[in-house]
Amino acid sequence: MDLLEYQAKSLFRQMAIPILPSQRIDNPADLKGLKIPYPVVLKSQVRAGGRGRAGGIKFVENTIDAVAAAQTIFNLPIESEYPQVLLAEAKYNADQELYLAVLLDPVARRPVLLGSREGGMDVEGSIDKMQQVAVDQEFSPFYARRLMLKMGLQGDLIQSVSAIVEKMYRLFVEKDLDLVEINPLGISPTGEVMALDGKVSANDDALGRHPDLAALSGKKQGSGFVGNRRNPYAERHNSHSQAQHSPEFDAKSQSPISNSESLQLIELDGNIGILCNGMGLTMATLDAVVHQGGKPANFVNMGSLNPYDTANALRDRAELALELVAQNKNVKVILVNILARASKTDEITAAVAGYLERKARANRHIQVVLRLVEIDSDAVKKRLGELPVQLVSSLDRAAAASVASAK
Amino acid sequence: MNLTPESKVLVQGITESPASTRTALMMKAYGTNVVAGVSPGKGGRELEGIPIFDLVEQAVAAVGNVDTAVILVDRYSVLDAAQEAIAAGIRQIAIVTGGVPPLDMVRLVRKAEATETLLIGPNSPGIIVPDKLLLGTHPKEFYTPGSIGVISRSSTLTYEIALELTGAGFGQSMAVCIGCDAILGSSFMQWLQILDEDDCTEAIVLVGEAGGWSEQAAASYIASAIDKPVVAYLAGHYVPKGQSLGHAGILISSRAAAQKAFGIKAQNKMAAFEEAEIPVAARPSEVPKLLKKLLKKK
Repeated sequence: MDLLEYQAKSLFRQMAIPILPSQRIDNPADLKGLKIPYPVVLKSQVRAGGRGRAGGIKFVENTIDAVAAAQTIFNLPIESEYPQVLLAEAKYNADQELYLAVLLDPVARRPVLLGSREGGMDVEGSIDKMQQVAVDQEFSPFYARRLMLKMGLQGDLIQSVSAIVEKMYRLFVEKDLDLVEINPLGISPTGEVMALDGKVSANDDALGRHPDLAALSGKKQGSGFVGNRRNPYAERHNSHSQAQHSPEFDAKSQSPISNSESLQLIELDGNIGILCNGMGLTMATLDAVVHQGGKPANFVNMGSLNPYDTANALRDRAELALELVAQNKNVKVILVNILARASKTDEITAAVAGYLERKARANRHIQVVLRLVEIDSDAVKKRLGELPVQLVSSLDRAAAASVASAK
Repeated sequence: MNLTPESKVLVQGITESPASTRTALMMKAYGTNVVAGVSPGKGGRELEGIPIFDLVEQAVAAVGNVDTAVILVDRYSVLDAAQEAIAAGIRQIAIVTGGVPPLDMVRLVRKAEATETLLIGPNSPGIIVPDKLLLGTHPKEFYTPGSIGVISRSSTLTYEIALELTGAGFGQSMAVCIGCDAILGSSFMQWLQILDEDDCTEAIVLVGEAGGWSEQAAASYIASAIDKPVVAYLAGHYVPKGQSLGHAGILISSRAAAQKAFGIKAQNKMAAFEEAEIPVAARPSEVPKLLKKLLKKK
């Protein structure tokens, strides 16, 4: 979960990382009660990068200008996100701008410290000047000083900037973050340091033990929240929730999953709906359909089936998923590829049958291609009867049948 | 490493949920030597012949040294459970639970390295040695015994590959899922090495995601260190609307940080495999065909 700048800065304040005096602005009229002396900077509070270039940051000298600028910023979407809040902040004259970050390297499985003397808006352009230090054992401040020397800092700056990195690292660990970034860290002509802009991403899986961060998301979170791995689609496409994977053995998440909260629908452009369990299998199924010349309309990844423990829980869930997929009117055929032990596939078959019977009554004609490993079971054939279902035993056949039916 | 059917297995969190109890019983029914369960507060009870203890060290005192701990506790208790197992001298740990906070895993990985403990998972169906040993939740119906080793970072996609192998007459010597979380206890490299040295394994199938960092690292490792034939299947060729799917990594919202730390070069996801001359199956059904070709050459 990405925090907004003002939320990130409130964490910086808790860690005694220096930030400028600032005030949260919920609507332009709030500027009349501004407690910071002019000139001030008004900043759009959106998650997208490149706010400055997009016009989301404005300098103002007085209240009249500030109110007008605030109105403009509130009405300016950045990467299609409108700000709910602005941040009014004192102006700062930085002599130098540094880049600092702490994050995890998933291959080395260690935290990494990043730093560059070329901070600011163009940091991506000078990526080869960026330095990194892996924190391979228990953290100690020398790791931060090692980064300072690699960055080429000298004199008093070594201590003052490494102290900031140390605090960033402590914040990173205390709050289970995926990223703490300060860009830029302003350095004044007198050598004073100031976090001018910051980015903090909280780890979704850890939100259950950080109620303060979970509260910022405005969503109910907890170790009982079923599945919440972040997916880039969740923010950019039509999705029904953030949830995606279900922690199978999360003892605190045993409450039955009762609504569409944790089913995530990803919309694409084609006419074949896809229902799978597990991200790898979903990707393989998408690949197979595209390989056969088909176009996926959308997909739902049901994740692990283990939480569906009570009788009919999986069946109800799968019916709901089928409904979600078929909401898209372009969907001509739904490919169901759910790999599980036999007891679970019975419930999937029942879901497909129940769903199609309901659709037939409602005159919505939709085909289902059901991939089952054992397709010769009499019970399955009896349950599906004359319903518009093609039973196939392999992924290749399932993809071929779906593509043929969608034509 | 001890993955023989006789090796002793302990299940942590055995009575925590219906799913964890079912998993323990499924492992036992498969023939796994489940010697004890641990569930704090439930010590002294028994689950279909499996004695339950409050602490791992009590279990070890009662049943003797344990080879493997299978962890089914909730995600925020995984680090503690694994440290408890390590403290009790257990050196193989399979973590089935998913969604473990990454920084807990960082601490656990450091501990595992210092104690030479082998970690599998988190968010993993574990290991299956067909007809011999089940450490986790692999559904047995997809596997048959044989000589192909499968290493994967997906759960259900591993089953898909096993089905294709089984269908084509290739049994499996072992299938291991290293886990679906972002930070994992073991790497593809570790398991490639284990299977390379395993006498029952003739060839290896690597199952991953196209463009994944771990997959790319594995490709170079195979080229330099693995003698047995390796076939790869990588899901995720189709990338809708320029987005990347998958659970391979932490998605970093800072492009600058991601570029530097992960060296993301998305241009050619297959480059590392092409360079290493590892045959990559376009579909799961191609895996057996590529294996046949490679094994004939040998």
